[in-house]
Amino acid sequence: MSGMASNLAKKRALAAGFGTNANAVKYLNQDFEALRAQCLSRGGLFSDPTFPAAPESLGFNELGPGSYKTRAVQWKRPGELCSSPEFIVGGATRTDICQGALGDCWLLAAIASLTLNEDVMARVVPVGQSFGESYAGIFHFQFWQFGEWVDVVIDDRLPTKDGELLFVHSAEGSEFWSALLEKAYAKVNGCYEALSGGSTTEGFEDFTGGIAENYDLRKPPPNMFQIIKKAIESGALLGCSIDITSAADSEAVTRQKLVKGHAYSLTGAVEVTYRGRKEKLIRIRNPWGQVEWTGAWSDSSSEWNSVDDSERQNVKADDGEFWMSFTEFLRHYSRIEICTLTPDTLTDDSVKHWSVCNYDGSWRKGSTAGGCRNHAYTFWMNPQFVIRLDEEDDDPDDNEVGCSFVVGLIQKNRRRLRKVGEDMHTIGFAIYEVPSQFHGQREVHLDKNYFLTHAQKARSETFVNLREVSTRFKMPPGEYLIVPSTFEPHLNGDFCIRVFSEKQTETRPCDDPVKADLDDETVSDAEVDAGFRGLFTKLAGDDMEISATELKTIMNKIVSKRTDIKTDGFSLETCRIMVNLMDDSGNGKLGLGEFATLWKKVQKYLGIYKKNDMDNSGTMSTPEMRMALKEAGFTLNNGIYQILVARYAELDMTIDFDNFVACLMRLDMMFRVFMKIDAHDSGFIELDFHQWLTFTMI
Amino acid sequence: FVPSDPPAPRRPLAYAEQNESDEERQFRKVFQQLAGDDMEVSPTELMNILNRIISKHGDLKTDGFSIESCRSMVAVMDCDSTGKLGFHEFKHLWNNIKKWQCVYKTYDTDGSGVIGADELPNAFRAAGFPLNDQLFQMIIRRYSDENGNMDFDNCIGCLVRLDAMCRAFKTLDKDNNGTIKVNVQEWLQLTMYS
Repeated sequence: MSGMASNLAKKRALAAGFGTNANAVKYLNQDFEALRAQCLSRGGLFSDPTFPAAPESLGFNELGPGSYKTRAVQWKRPGELCSSPEFIVGGATRTDICQGALGDCWLLAAIASLTLNEDVMARVVPVGQSFGESYAGIFHFQFWQFGEWVDVVIDDRLPTKDGELLFVHSAEGSEFWSALLEKAYAKVNGCYEALSGGSTTEGFEDFTGGIAENYDLRKPPPNMFQIIKKAIESGALLGCSIDITSAADSEAVTRQKLVKGHAYSLTGAVEVTYRGRKEKLIRIRNPWGQVEWTGAWSDSSSEWNSVDDSERQNVKADDGEFWMSFTEFLRHYSRIEICTLTPDTLTDDSVKHWSVCNYDGSWRKGSTAGGCRNHAYTFWMNPQFVIRLDEEDDDPDDNEVGCSFVVGLIQKNRRRLRKVGEDMHTIGFAIYEVPSQFHGQREVHLDKNYFLTHAQKARSETFVNLREVSTRFKMPPGEYLIVPSTFEPHLNGDFCIRVFSEKQTETRPCDDPVKADLDDETVSDAEVDAGFRGLFTKLAGDDMEISATELKTIMNKIVSKRTDIKTDGFSLETCRIMVNLMDDSGNGKLGLGEFATLWKKVQKYLGIYKKNDMDNSGTMSTPEMRMALKEAGFTLNNGIYQILVARYAELDMTIDFDNFVACLMRLDMMFRVFMKIDAHDSGFIELDFHQWLTFTMI
Repeated sequence: FVPSDPPAPRRPLAYAEQNESDEERQFRKVFQQLAGDDMEVSPTELMNILNRIISKHGDLKTDGFSIESCRSMVAVMDCDSTGKLGFHEFKHLWNNIKKWQCVYKTYDTDGSGVIGADELPNAFRAAGFPLNDQLFQMIIRRYSDENGNMDFDNCIGCLVRLDAMCRAFKTLDKDNNGTIKVNVQEWLQLTMYS
């Protein structure tokens, strides 16, 4: 356990390339190859202990144990359902996905779009799986989960009722990839029922690692057509739909054969010359493979007669696909979802690649959860990311010059998954211009004054309580600062921020460097003046050394006399730590010089504490603490501030005097230890087990 | 030092509840009472729990767990720097405390209610930490009183930290070469949050 170390180990693994699609993280540490080999050599089929073929894997409420819907459910392997099961028959196609007794149509729509893109499909459904020779009842799939790819292993026992699959099944009765994919996705989400209700966008993202944008077609951006065209060119997945106004409307077919409340795929955008002018056309696909639009520009409509043959060659539509004019598209359809793929998802050279940057971050109460700009006092404490836009888009059709990019902010919320819904934070972000004197610097965290005196340049469309907020921007080249936040300050949360851009850009977390400017404050026995020596003799008693207990008495005598600083008193524990940190001689007590050095530090810290207690509350608020640490010579970054607050602040986010001293003393000593070992300034220290415990057990 | 298995990965509550033994279910009930609405145990909550328990054991000598040592215990166990312990983190701590309480009683050979300097090395070895004399001396200096006696709260505080630090070393020593390499940021994250 020991949380911090496992966090660091994980970060190192990610930096070393784990979590990419080619090197996915093994979910629950299950290794597909190894498990399959085990089963093959033992001659049995795999049974997954982590996702058992039992009621709890189905659900907790409607599909909970003993519920009506799950009565008489039997778990069966494909071989028990048909004589010669296949993994994929004739490539993955949209007819492979027929909805079962679960409200996960959003997921199916996403899977359907997936089948349209072979490359993307191959990432989610690793090749080389079959019911043939190497079959061992085990399969695996890969999903994107908050910034990393995970490889999920399952056994092939599927829930059935009366010999039929309960959930997703293929139109081909002997084909099982879609049902197995759904099982793997259910495993990642805890159970099948967890998949009930969701948005296609989430599915798009979890299958591609791409970033999804939503557009309301009642108020589309002026360059909507360009956006669609570019998205298709770059291999993005696009979906569109017509809103329903009542439940009865669902899948209702209009007079011109459009289906309401149904997920369509958007597959093409072109301009043709029609009666001497340019006409914008959109190609749409009904995943049913039939029921097509019958209005203007539909398959055999008269409009096509006025288009030159040479142009018509390039404008084709398969079954279930149809063209319509862009103007009519905007009139009939309500929304469009675009999932831009990350470069690592695309292998096709003909499409334009977007570049992507992906960073993790967190908001922590009292340190980095600053809330939105309404909270001027704390806003600056939020994590900051800098983005440099170098090159303008190549865009002959577009008069607007600038650099296009999409910023997506996803809240991870893993820890609070248990209370899904009520625990989604309201999140968003603001974008500022980086002042020119900071250009090119990464190790700087802009402070309160900057945000008080500068206006934001752009921001996320809204602050919203969804899993992700994403917005597209077009801005002149330059350096910008993205500040993600929750709406209200002091809320704990983890997030992942991604910046997708057409041209190469550079996005990096923007934070102060970690360093300390330490004066040599050591006082030797000889330097101590007579007055202090007299005091020490009185305090130390016969042995001429100050023990932790004696130190506690001394410290508390001093602070109890002061009304201007708050403290609940120095505990014996705190004094023990101080003694051990200062104890050079290693006898567990402080001699004259050691005590004089400690004394000098405490005096200095007291001065800093008083000076930075701006509101004279007698305590440090966490923003005051940050200033105080700076004055004491420590430049720290967000990661460190977070842990200092978690470790030393009270519940009301204040730091009292004894904690302040304890914190600074330890910080001071730990910096000294590091600098002493890293004598050559390499930035790293190497420790063996013995050294490690010697320093960390204090 | 052989670390015990890491805690199970987090699952949605509904799933976890369906999928646990009776013992776990009981423990979860206790946890829910202790942790309150936020389902996390703060240092103050931990202190209250621990002090309530030791008050029932007259044979363990202690001046009570201080808030400072509880903060430190939470810090070394906390995975996400929220300053609180979740269910699995707390369970791990709980099981360890139960285990170490037995060790404490067994190795208090003279029945004094404290672990003397001479009893300490064997007690720690039995708890799974075979350290060298130098480290034992250091630990006694830091955690025992002026007579070299370690009372119950100090002993638990020390073992929790020792366990966490051994684990941390093991986790970071990926290539098992007996050394770890850290930069200043990592060093502070490890040593300041403890």
